Amino acid sequence: MASSRSLEDFERQVRRAPPVSTAFVEYRFSHLLKKPLQTSGTLEYRADGVLARNVDTPYRETTEVTGDQVRIQRAGKPARTLALQRAPQLRVLLGSFRALLEGHFAPLADDFDVTLAEAAPHWTLTLKPRDASLAKHLARIDVFGSADRPGCLEAVEPDGDGAITLLGGPAPGATPAAGGKLPTRAELERACRTGPAAITQ
Amino acid sequence: MMSRRGWLLTAWVALLALGVVWVQSRLTVSADLRLFMPAPRTEEQRLLVQNIGESPASRLLLLAIGNDEPAKLASISKRFAAALTPRPEFALVANGEQAPPSIPEKLLPYRYLITDSFDARPLDEARLGAELEDRAADMASPASGFLEEWLPRDPTLEILHLAGRWQPRAEPHRVDDAWFSADGRRALLLVETRAAAFDPDGQTAALAALDEEFARARGDSLASLTVSGTGYFSSVIRNRTQYEATWFGTFDSIGLILLLWLAYRRVAFTVLGALPLLTGGLAGLTAVSLIFGSVHGITIAFGFTLIGVAQDYPIHLFSHLRPDETPLTTARKVWRPLATGVASTCIAYLAFLVSGVTGLAQLACLTITGLLAAGLTSRYLLPRIVPSVTRDPAQLPWIARLNERIERLPRPAALYGVIPLAALAVFLLRPQGFWQNDLSKLTPVPPELLRIDAELRKEMATPDLRFLLVVSAPSEDAVLAALESLDRELKSSMDERDIGSFEHAAQYLPSSDLQRRRQAALPGAATLDAMVSRAAAQSPFEDGLFAPFVRDVESARQLPPLTAGDLRDTPLALRLGSELFARDGHWYGLVSLYDVHNPGGIAELAAAHPGNVTFLDLKSASEQLVAAQRARIIFCLEVAAVLLVIVIVIALRSGSRVLRVLAPMILTTLVILAVLRACDVSLSLFHLISLVLAAGLGLDYALFFEHAADDPAEQRRTLHALLVCSATTLLVFAMFSFSTVPILQAIGVTVALGVFSNFVLALLLTRERVVR
Repeated sequence: MASSRSLEDFERQVRRAPPVSTAFVEYRFSHLLKKPLQTSGTLEYRADGVLARNVDTPYRETTEVTGDQVRIQRAGKPARTLALQRAPQLRVLLGSFRALLEGHFAPLADDFDVTLAEAAPHWTLTLKPRDASLAKHLARIDVFGSADRPGCLEAVEPDGDGAITLLGGPAPGATPAAGGKLPTRAELERACRTGPAAITQ
Repeated sequence: MMSRRGWLLTAWVALLALGVVWVQSRLTVSADLRLFMPAPRTEEQRLLVQNIGESPASRLLLLAIGNDEPAKLASISKRFAAALTPRPEFALVANGEQAPPSIPEKLLPYRYLITDSFDARPLDEARLGAELEDRAADMASPASGFLEEWLPRDPTLEILHLAGRWQPRAEPHRVDDAWFSADGRRALLLVETRAAAFDPDGQTAALAALDEEFARARGDSLASLTVSGTGYFSSVIRNRTQYEATWFGTFDSIGLILLLWLAYRRVAFTVLGALPLLTGGLAGLTAVSLIFGSVHGITIAFGFTLIGVAQDYPIHLFSHLRPDETPLTTARKVWRPLATGVASTCIAYLAFLVSGVTGLAQLACLTITGLLAAGLTSRYLLPRIVPSVTRDPAQLPWIARLNERIERLPRPAALYGVIPLAALAVFLLRPQGFWQNDLSKLTPVPPELLRIDAELRKEMATPDLRFLLVVSAPSEDAVLAALESLDRELKSSMDERDIGSFEHAAQYLPSSDLQRRRQAALPGAATLDAMVSRAAAQSPFEDGLFAPFVRDVESARQLPPLTAGDLRDTPLALRLGSELFARDGHWYGLVSLYDVHNPGGIAELAAAHPGNVTFLDLKSASEQLVAAQRARIIFCLEVAAVLLVIVIVIALRSGSRVLRVLAPMILTTLVILAVLRACDVSLSLFHLISLVLAAGLGLDYALFFEHAADDPAEQRRTLHALLVCSATTLLVFAMFSFSTVPILQAIGVTVALGVFSNFVLALLLTRERVVR
């Protein structure tokens, strides 16, 4: 844990103007599930300010956040829209995605305690929710990155459930399995902390 | 040893004092603004008036906080709402932070009887499999953390589905989760008071609580609070009427005392002159209090104005007193025109007694009783007390000079033709808006407050205030069933873009019949358990995860149907109460409509269900109500006019004398109507009342001028009396024309105009020239 420079200073290193787009593979761990759920697709932050999460496998789904509206379109189903003002916790969570893609963290400080730890060129950004009702569902988000780009997100829930999102394409040891064996949570956590990642602009 | 006069005076004053004490202990002042609205006659009108005064919606107060930066306003709004919520004055506080109504925990299993999710496609294995597949995808979404808690109990997300359906169709804008106006300059809140809208004490207490908490929530900000709503109006009107009545009353009393002193230069006259008026006022209040139970604040303010005419009665006596005649003889001589005036004015007010408007009936009762009491005491009591005089007003030099000048004025008979023709021209040139049909203008609420109210209601995105569907049936459950049976047609109205959307009670509380049908369609415990096991096995979810779901469905199958009673003390009850209610043993359900594009389409829909569905166009219903009412009042006035002419004819017994007496009053009515029309004022009931008041004054003036005939001394005494009379009346009504209560102002302007015109016309047309 080296320097403790300011977030503004750090932002200068990672900030990018939209449109920003990156591939992702996400693993979801829950005590409700027999085995982790794996999805992959792209995360986009478009020039018009729309945040989109497109899932390609194992099903197709598009989630678009425009202003205060979330629109979820699943293949073969009517689109659902949700007003984020009715789900403030989800709004905070989606806001953190946008901040990460854009490399603009200052707005996050309203909703999270943000801490930065660096061991050049690697860095870890930790977000801890300030709001008690969000903290019931989310203990923290760790963002692992290197140089100017985030490589992986790990969300940890208070009950031990959580999700790991690898950005910029499949990391070593985390090949999307088509019938193959899923990596273990420990393997994924290791890949998350060390794996190289690429963001395509 | 006290004289007989002294005894009489003491007894009179003592009686008045007793009367004051009795009235004070008995009198209940009501602030129900509807007292001055026409009485409803049709089903539609009854619903309309009920909607104005008794529905929970009428207890809503709209609040706006402005005058600071949006972020600061939002945090004030939050602190304010948090402080108001526990206060006993309010049943509901909302500023946007609160979640939409949800099913209370203990009633959760009922969701399977309330939801429409399984009406088209039952809860079978295929449906369940598809739902679990969807939930697996939800689990992989960012929202998963929030769903996990409920999934085992609610894998089909019925709680979310119902919350979505129950969301308000439209809502104000938001800043930091607090409601804001569209321009972002005012934070908006909505509170429901526990006090009824027309309970001014309760409303005043609620308003005080608002002020107190706002001062605290505001801190050192300069933010200001605007309040609106029916309850606020009733409190404001009462306080304003009381304030203005006190203020005008004081001013008028001082003015009257000064005028009387100037006219008679005797303190005794000034004091005695007030006794008949006081007696009339007390008698009037006593009568209203005995007959109606409570008196509207406006009736009092207004009634005392009308009774103010009685101040003329002692003046007529005083101005005709002569050193060579006992006061009793003078009173007997004056009594003839005075009694004719009192009788004819009372007859005119009889029209209001049968008008069907409670406020007007109270007013008529108060005025008639008051005028009779004042007239009779001026005739039989006052002359026995009044001291004899040493000077005759007929001998006053200034009266003689004035009389001389008036004598020289022309008597333009042309006025008989010119005034009606001029009035006719005005009516023809400005034919629009002769009558005021807007019910809201008939309440004594100042237009500025109504404008703010309309603005806030628009910002709050409340449903259409003009169009409503009303479903009626003998029982609560029958209303719910009727509402459900309308759903298909209402949805097709939405498809045809007649309306944007709709909302009614059965969306929260289905009829017991529908609930039973849904119960019957739910799978039994064993079947469901097997279905869930097979579906879960094929899903990524753990086996046995959905046991709480199976339990909830099973209890839903066993429950007795949900009723409005079960929802008491839940957030749903509030909304239900405004949409489903009983009145006079009959049940009503309201269908709120949003974005009404084609009212005709909805009217047709209602017409297809004669008897139990009514299309309510509040605007046209209220206009019809007002118009029907006016027709009735005008008819009553016409009858009164005929009776009045009969009284005059009997009293005067000569065609030309009758014409000379009636002319000023009739022509003045035309003058007032033409002036109001020329100023683009639409006539309301309050103008009609004022016209009657002005006509009564005109009749009095003419009767006295006519009575004086061509006797020069008598003419000078009459001139003196009428100058004092018209000056006092002008003083009172000119004051009222400065009132901020619109109806008081309407009366002030109309009557002041009438006094002037009547006096001048009576001088020119009624007074006879002295034959020299």
